[in-house]
Amino acid sequence: MSTESIQTPMADTVTLGRVNQPPAQTWNRLHVNDITLTVPKISRKGDVYFALPQLFSKVETGMGEKVTAWVTSQAADARYVEVPAHTVREEPVVIAVDADKGEVVDTGVMVREGATATIVVAVTGTSDKPSTSASLLRVIAESGAHVSVIEVIGATDAQQHLESVGIHADDDARIDVRQYALGGGTVAVGFAADLAGRRARVDLNTRYLASGHETLDINHVVRQRGRDTRAQISESGVLDGSAKKSLRATIDLIHGGRGSKGSEAETVLVIGDNVVNKTMPVILCDEDDVAGNHGATIGSVSPEQIAYLEDRGLSRREAEQLFVRALFEDAIIHSPEKRSHEAAVRRAEAVLGADVAHDFDEGVSPVLDEEA
Amino acid sequence: MSGGRTKVADVDRSLYDFTKSEEGYERYEDGLTPDIVRSISAKKEEPEWMLEMRLRALDLYHGRDMATNWGPSIAGLDLDHISTYVSPKTKQAKDWNDVPKDIKDTFERLGIPEAERESLAGVGAQYDSEIVYHNMREEVAKQGVIYTTIEDALHDPTWEPVVHEYFGTLIPPTDHKFAALHYAVWSGGSFVYVPEGVTLDYPLQSYFRLNAQGAGQFEHTLIIVEPGADLHFIEGCSAPKYYEANLHAGAVELFVKDGARLRYSTIENWSKNMYNLNTKRATIGTDSKMEWVSGSFGSHVSYLYPTTILAGDRGSCEFTGITFAGATQDLDTGCKVILNGADTTASVNTKSISKDGGVNTFRSSVVVGRHADRARCTVSCQSLMLDNISRSDTIPAMDVRNSTAQVGHEATIGRISDDTVLYLMSRGCSEAEARTLVVNGFANPVSKELPMEYAVEMNNLIKLEMEGAIG
Repeated sequence: MSTESIQTPMADTVTLGRVNQPPAQTWNRLHVNDITLTVPKISRKGDVYFALPQLFSKVETGMGEKVTAWVTSQAADARYVEVPAHTVREEPVVIAVDADKGEVVDTGVMVREGATATIVVAVTGTSDKPSTSASLLRVIAESGAHVSVIEVIGATDAQQHLESVGIHADDDARIDVRQYALGGGTVAVGFAADLAGRRARVDLNTRYLASGHETLDINHVVRQRGRDTRAQISESGVLDGSAKKSLRATIDLIHGGRGSKGSEAETVLVIGDNVVNKTMPVILCDEDDVAGNHGATIGSVSPEQIAYLEDRGLSRREAEQLFVRALFEDAIIHSPEKRSHEAAVRRAEAVLGADVAHDFDEGVSPVLDEEA
Repeated sequence: MSGGRTKVADVDRSLYDFTKSEEGYERYEDGLTPDIVRSISAKKEEPEWMLEMRLRALDLYHGRDMATNWGPSIAGLDLDHISTYVSPKTKQAKDWNDVPKDIKDTFERLGIPEAERESLAGVGAQYDSEIVYHNMREEVAKQGVIYTTIEDALHDPTWEPVVHEYFGTLIPPTDHKFAALHYAVWSGGSFVYVPEGVTLDYPLQSYFRLNAQGAGQFEHTLIIVEPGADLHFIEGCSAPKYYEANLHAGAVELFVKDGARLRYSTIENWSKNMYNLNTKRATIGTDSKMEWVSGSFGSHVSYLYPTTILAGDRGSCEFTGITFAGATQDLDTGCKVILNGADTTASVNTKSISKDGGVNTFRSSVVVGRHADRARCTVSCQSLMLDNISRSDTIPAMDVRNSTAQVGHEATIGRISDDTVLYLMSRGCSEAEARTLVVNGFANPVSKELPMEYAVEMNNLIKLEMEGAIG
């Protein structure tokens, strides 16, 4: 892994340039190709920690090699989880990241042939002190494996979080991913899936909220390498205040992946007057017997819709907040265990107030297994 | 049939791939030096400000690099083996009979005089670095329309200040490396001025032919459409095929004032040894309209993204384009739209066809500024893959900074379905005819926007590209 790009502006931080870079880029003057992040650097020289099996180094990650190198150098022991072949792991693999403590975690999950597993990444922050946390998750899904990944990121406005995921999928592997980026001063989310096997499939559903002066940077890459693979990517979000959001989503239909289909769609609701909303949906196609499509819709609640809601006693702001509430409700409903649920509720409290958040808690929360 | 693929033979481009001798032509030595730039300027007896601009641009060119993280490779382009100025030994003619025989023969084979007789308000024809023929209908001239070369405008005391005011302001030499090169060595092109309220019933047309081997063409087109005026301008380009690289780095600056309309139609049909690094940009005022119709068929490598800046309120822009990439071609094309005025609208519809190992990249940007209240923009991009050795990429970018704007984008990539081909074959078409029919239908939304003779040319080009044996 190259360390050339890691420069040291200060003794205790490093600047990671060209993070979240998509496979194909465009005009640099648009400043949409990547993000530059400044992160802390802890010297671990001389320490020996548990590292993941070498196999995981071949898994492409969404945020790229620089972030992978930084996380693996900063995290203490990496965590390796193996789900045996033809088994169903009932309890989720939970990756809890305490943003207040600036935790950096490195996880590798091997889901063996025909096995089923759920992986949860829960990032919780409540502090108003600056910190940087990170989670690097690499998954190998063998033939016929079924993997569900739920990521809930609930950092505070003062915090920075890096969320990088890489998944390799063999024949008939099925990957379901739900990402909820609910807040954080700077949140960078990268997701890469390599559908290497025949009929491998990924369904990626991302929902986000960025408000105030928050920055949200997302990079999604799906490589459709195997024959008859399927990729279904859906992103939707709400941008408020002076938030800045960049979304890069790439469907890469690789030569040889005959019969594959990839689809990507983003819907953005802009409710802030000073929002910067950048979107770059890319299809790369090196095969003729494939189908790829993408779409993006960016807009606000229409004046007609607002008028309709106002006629029924809702102010414009209240009407717009309904969309935000729906987003949190969705996150809470789909949080399968305590830590992700808590991350979503804590963030809902900060954004919508404690009363509303507790309404969610009572009204929409699934019954959680306390042992989970 | 599902296992079989259409094998397309080499294209018969004999209509375009004929060459004429350069004997007796004035040809500057290959490469790019201040002396060459000064020689071009001196030959044109330019005002001092233009020479200064050229020399400043030359410095910019040498100081700039191409981006390394996007775009096709131009490694095969070596300016040390390109002559930036080649001129036939002839003066610009206003009468077609005064044009030298071999040049006249070239344009007649391309159908240019015919087009003029049929339905044009004026015609300009550039051969290598210089305009060899320019003419305009008398009734159009009487309306106060100016259609001449930039060089002639610079020598006219009435128009030199206008050229000075506009030239290089919309596409500055600092824009990118090959914009800088353009300003250093530009030669030929058109200056069009349409006075306030004047509507031209017929289009004006310029045709650019690069005959010389190992040469560049750097024409500059400057069009000013005053308030309430209306113009359709057509541009055609072609070149014969050589095994040495040729370069086209033109610039098109379009100023469309309040309430005016400009339609700019282009069929670029360069040969497959051409590096086409062309820059086109329009700025439009309040209540004005810009329409682009663009067909890109030739060239080895293209970087071409016509840009529209909707500066005034209620301006609108339509971009309709098609790109056909075949063997040895890497065409990076698309458009840019910048919506700065309130209630502005833009609509982009593009098609691309890839075959025989050709690479198509649709690249676009839509930028909605903070003050573009209620701006609307839709982008639609459809790509057709005709075999599994070709490539088609779609790389759009959107930057929206207004909460009341609505921006939509959609793109699809696919191939001709076997069912469609089977259906047509069951009605008596051969497989090749069936595929050509589908491709023609795919391209129809673009060809119907073109003037008749250009639509015919485009359909002919598609037919040429599609013809071949089934393997």
